Amino acid sequence: MTAQTGTTGSPTGPVTPLPVTAPGRPDHGSSRGAGDGGSPGRVGSGRRREGRAAWILAIPFCLLFLAFTAWPVVQSLFMSFTDTKAKDLRHPFSVNIVGFDNFTKALSDPIFRKAAANTAYFVLVGVPLTLLLALAAAVALDKGITRFRAVFRLGFYMPVITSIVAVAVVWRFLLQDPGGLINTVLGWFGITGPNWLGDPNWSMPALIMMAAWRNFGTGMIIFLAGLQAVPAELHEAAAIDGAGAVKRFRHVTLPLLRPTLLFVMVTTSIGYLQVFEEPFVMTQGGPLNSTITVTYNTYQQFGFGNYGLASAMSYLIFVVIAIVTALQFRLLRERS
Amino acid sequence: MRRTTVISVACMTAAALTVTACGRGAEDGGSAAGQTGAAVSTGKATGTITVWAMGAEGDNLSKLTKDFEAANPGVSVKVTSIPWAAAHDKFTTAITAGKTPDVAMVGTTWMGEFAGSDAIDPTPAQIDKSAFFEGAQKTTEVNGTSYGIPWYVETRVVFYRTDLAKKAGYDTVPTDAAGLKDMAKAMQTKAGAKWGIGLQAGGDGSWQTLMPFAWSEGADLTKDGGKKYNFDSPEVLKATQYYQSYFTDGISNKSAPATPTTEPDFVNGTVPMFISGPWMMSAVEKVGGAGFKDKYNVAPIPAGSAGSSSFVGGSNFVVFKNTQNRDTAWKFVQWLAEPKVQSKWYTISTDLPSVKSAWQDPALASDKKLAVFGKQLETAKAPPSFPTWEQAVKGLDTELEKITKTGADPATGLKTAQQQADSIGTGM
Repeated sequence: MTAQTGTTGSPTGPVTPLPVTAPGRPDHGSSRGAGDGGSPGRVGSGRRREGRAAWILAIPFCLLFLAFTAWPVVQSLFMSFTDTKAKDLRHPFSVNIVGFDNFTKALSDPIFRKAAANTAYFVLVGVPLTLLLALAAAVALDKGITRFRAVFRLGFYMPVITSIVAVAVVWRFLLQDPGGLINTVLGWFGITGPNWLGDPNWSMPALIMMAAWRNFGTGMIIFLAGLQAVPAELHEAAAIDGAGAVKRFRHVTLPLLRPTLLFVMVTTSIGYLQVFEEPFVMTQGGPLNSTITVTYNTYQQFGFGNYGLASAMSYLIFVVIAIVTALQFRLLRERS
Repeated sequence: MRRTTVISVACMTAAALTVTACGRGAEDGGSAAGQTGAAVSTGKATGTITVWAMGAEGDNLSKLTKDFEAANPGVSVKVTSIPWAAAHDKFTTAITAGKTPDVAMVGTTWMGEFAGSDAIDPTPAQIDKSAFFEGAQKTTEVNGTSYGIPWYVETRVVFYRTDLAKKAGYDTVPTDAAGLKDMAKAMQTKAGAKWGIGLQAGGDGSWQTLMPFAWSEGADLTKDGGKKYNFDSPEVLKATQYYQSYFTDGISNKSAPATPTTEPDFVNGTVPMFISGPWMMSAVEKVGGAGFKDKYNVAPIPAGSAGSSSFVGGSNFVVFKNTQNRDTAWKFVQWLAEPKVQSKWYTISTDLPSVKSAWQDPALASDKKLAVFGKQLETAKAPPSFPTWEQAVKGLDTELEKITKTGADPATGLKTAQQQADSIGTGM
């Protein structure tokens, strides 16, 4: 029941402090050990009291967490191994345990497979595209555009904070065939644009285009912060050694940007793996299931009341997200 | 580390204990067939009842319930309006928590699910089931037991532009399937329309446009005594082939946008015919502006070998089992089914009455277009009230999309839809 509200791309929760640490700032001089110099015994009892206070302060959170996060997770995990249907919700435990049946059923369902393939398509094309757009915009804002920088930054970020419903209405107009703005512009160059949302071959590219446009702003802001943390001295030193702009970007900026890149890539991938809103508001999974995604399929199964099967689908996507994230961490980890 | 181990062992033990404690009892859900609710006391209604209703109905219902309160002094009807989008979840949660309202308006496709979770009360004998349109009454029946009443109804008919039809050489819509197709073709060739008729090319809810043709051929969506779905019968196949021919012959648009533009297309004449429900009258008149009323008309679905039939939808009213005021709840529902109340509700909401005699009211009887709907309702049919209906018919919608858009073989498509429906089961 957790995965169905996937907000594509936009990292949920507070954006944690960036893994980029500004060079020159010592991040290991913590205040630990700067105690009052009392006897070891007193320090011990003080610690214990502190510990108790910490627990008391933490208990409200722990209780809320257990009741509203941990319990639903356990419950949905349990559900994924049972044949729970909507009508069983009154007696959630009087259901049959079916082992891995729901998982095998999901994996052998042609629509779920189609959804998995579509999601893979969306992620494999969408994530690199979004990252590239974000990086390009960040570099442009960092180096190229000096006037009206704030305006551009706001403009690029605007789609992220705009409601998907409004975005969908506008994009449906843009993508209309014939008469949509995109096809009209293509027509000026003698290109006959496709029937974007009506053609099963073009509906997914249309959604990817829209998702990239909608989400690159977040990546851009984070990349911009990362770029600004690259010390100018390094660039100067490289320039003195005769490195051109491209070389400096490749060998100075990019390596220093790696933690940022990892962060943006992981959050974008997680968001895109759970893609739901775009097909939900634009195509309802059609035409011919060409834009049905795993999360959308899961949502449909919840709607049909197949809670067991839908929970199993949620866990499948969870496992995939975990694997993809682990791979990305391996790929882009800090090399010492 | 050790503590984590202890905790996880404890958790696993707890989980194992919980797991062993579950499992279904004897076959639960679904009650015995053909039940009738206990009799309701006579006399005036008393006390307070809570009512849930959705959408525009929810907003307007309190205008109607005032009359009930006036007729039964001391009764208070509390109407809660809920948006359609959130309604199903809200009902499921309420049923799970045992916090249902006394009375509620429910979508016809939810009946199987709610009856299956033993949440709604069978209709008492005091309510005359023959007063309603037969197809509408069927939507309240699950496994032979009727739960509640059909409150208002809608059905699908053919909308057509009279001015363009005249150009195409037609005064009225032909009453046979082949004639309808000829007329749609003539709309293209003689009246200059881009598409002859707007039919939904698969996708969500397209079965509602297909089934009128299939029902007119005498199709039955269940078989084996109502125990199984029946999507691949010869009647459905015949209707599907007919439906497909509109797309293969280029009379209907196979790549129409996912969000249809029916009203503007109808008004500007690009698509001068379509099949839809009564709400479309006000919708096209709103887009068409003044005088458009006289430029279009409605006609019944052309007859097949079993006469003219259509799809009946609408909403029902049910009483929930854990109501504290069952007598008043049923009296309220019974009152809603009175012909006078039904026609008054039409004037408030323009929802069509489900009670046949309410159609004699001058407000309805004087409208020629409405009369077509009234006539169609007499033969219109509803899909089976299985809890899995929405899921099963989704498979049919998907196959229908392949059939219309890619020209897939109708027989193969229906067979696939049937196999899927069989593996889903009726859920009863």
